[in-house]
Amino acid sequence: MSVIIEFKNVSKKFILSGFPGQKMTVTTALQNINFTLEKYKSLAILGPNGAGKTTLLKIISTLILPDSGAVEINGYLVGKDDGKIKSIIGLASAEERTFYSRLSGNQNLEFFAALYGLNKKEIQMRLGQLFKLFAIDYGDRRFDSYSTGMKRKFCLIRALLHNPEILLLDEPTKSLDYNSACELREYIGRLNNEGKTVIFTTHNIEEAENLCDLFLILYRGEIFGFGTKEELKNKANSHSADLAEIYLKLTQNA
Amino acid sequence: MLKKIFALIKKDFLNEASYKFAFIFNIFSVMVSLLIYYFIDKLFGYKMNWHLEEYGINYFSYVLLGMAFFSYIGTGVGSFSARIHYEQIQGTLESLLITPTPVYIILLSMGLWNLIFATLNVLVYIGTGVFLFKINFSHINILSATVVLILTIISFSSLGILSASFVIVFKRGNPLGWIINNLEGLLGGVYFPVGVMPAFLQFAAKFLPITYAIRAMQLAVYKGYTLAKLKNECLLLFFFSIILLPLSLSSFKFALKKGREQGSLAKL
Repeated sequence: MSVIIEFKNVSKKFILSGFPGQKMTVTTALQNINFTLEKYKSLAILGPNGAGKTTLLKIISTLILPDSGAVEINGYLVGKDDGKIKSIIGLASAEERTFYSRLSGNQNLEFFAALYGLNKKEIQMRLGQLFKLFAIDYGDRRFDSYSTGMKRKFCLIRALLHNPEILLLDEPTKSLDYNSACELREYIGRLNNEGKTVIFTTHNIEEAENLCDLFLILYRGEIFGFGTKEELKNKANSHSADLAEIYLKLTQNA
Repeated sequence: MLKKIFALIKKDFLNEASYKFAFIFNIFSVMVSLLIYYFIDKLFGYKMNWHLEEYGINYFSYVLLGMAFFSYIGTGVGSFSARIHYEQIQGTLESLLITPTPVYIILLSMGLWNLIFATLNVLVYIGTGVFLFKINFSHINILSATVVLILTIISFSSLGILSASFVIVFKRGNPLGWIINNLEGLLGGVYFPVGVMPAFLQFAAKFLPITYAIRAMQLAVYKGYTLAKLKNECLLLFFFSIILLPLSLSSFKFALKKGREQGSLAKL
């Protein structure tokens, strides 16, 4: 199978305060990250808050540039072929405020679909398909009047408008009630079965275990484990088949 | 490309239209501010007469065109930074930048919508001037006014884009926004002819593009000056344009790169 994402020695630091030449507070978001992901796989990025999960997703989606190293997405280099990368990825951000709150759900999606280059007929067709998939029958309400669950669905729909090869989901079930989270997990599983490469970040290890083939454990910007559950189990020298225990064992000495 | 520009403009229109009373209040505020200057003209306007001799108009006519034109510059081309800041507040700047839409298309559409909105604003000024205060615009030289307008748009769009670059990197404390909104208004001859000010302020005004833009527009509209007569002002505006436009575009590109390096595009 061919490689779709490749990280080569990628590091990223952020300046929290101060200016160059003065005393600066710097935080390391990612340190010497190396991994490759094959097409059609699903990868869960696990780690505590501040581990670098969102930074990693934002680098893949070209919103953040790495300080050093190289990231290739389907053979395209981040920072050089950004236009081509943007047309093959779809990002559903963890932020709630990424839509125009005073426009309706439909108006928002039609707008973003046009920016992805879809024509009027394609937009109507695609929205019809996606509304059916996500069981949405009212897209004409003002966006800020939707529930958190509906907003998450719209986020996913937007990420899928241009039928991208790679789907990036930043904590897709964050602040969702139990039913909505289950519903959303079902959609994500279905999308991966339909041939999309899915990468998502989560704190929920059970969710990751149910949905993904591969796991990447990030801790303070470093990779503490990458591979299938079996591979992680071997790396951790764990007797347990429970991913949560494997995760704890791998990160306990950090 | 055109479809994307149309989509961006349509989005801005829908967003603006959702604030139902804003435009109506805007019309009222234009009328009220014009009324204030109308009465100021009645009281003290005669004192300005000798400064306005070269334009052949009274103070109220002068200030009406100055304010209309300045509102065009302020609302139309000076508000890139406000638009960028709005997208940051909404959290939509990253959503825009993650689509395969070139940055220049996003900027161009912001500029076009700003101009459409500003043109509506100017029409309110001109309409109020003509129908309520019987201002005479019949001497206008349309070709000269159009050329001055285009050169002004290019100069001030560039300042607007520069100011947006500041907002992307520093978020607040944007000095160019302050210059456009305050210093240009004070020194550039918007509310009174530059000749009223002391010599050192007149000297400072020479370095601002608005000084030439306002003067050329007043002369093109009220005196019907041809392009040949406005050659100096047009050349200076052209000079500002060719320096500021590439500078602003490269600074915006640099600001976006900085934002991506710092991971701060969506931060306020």
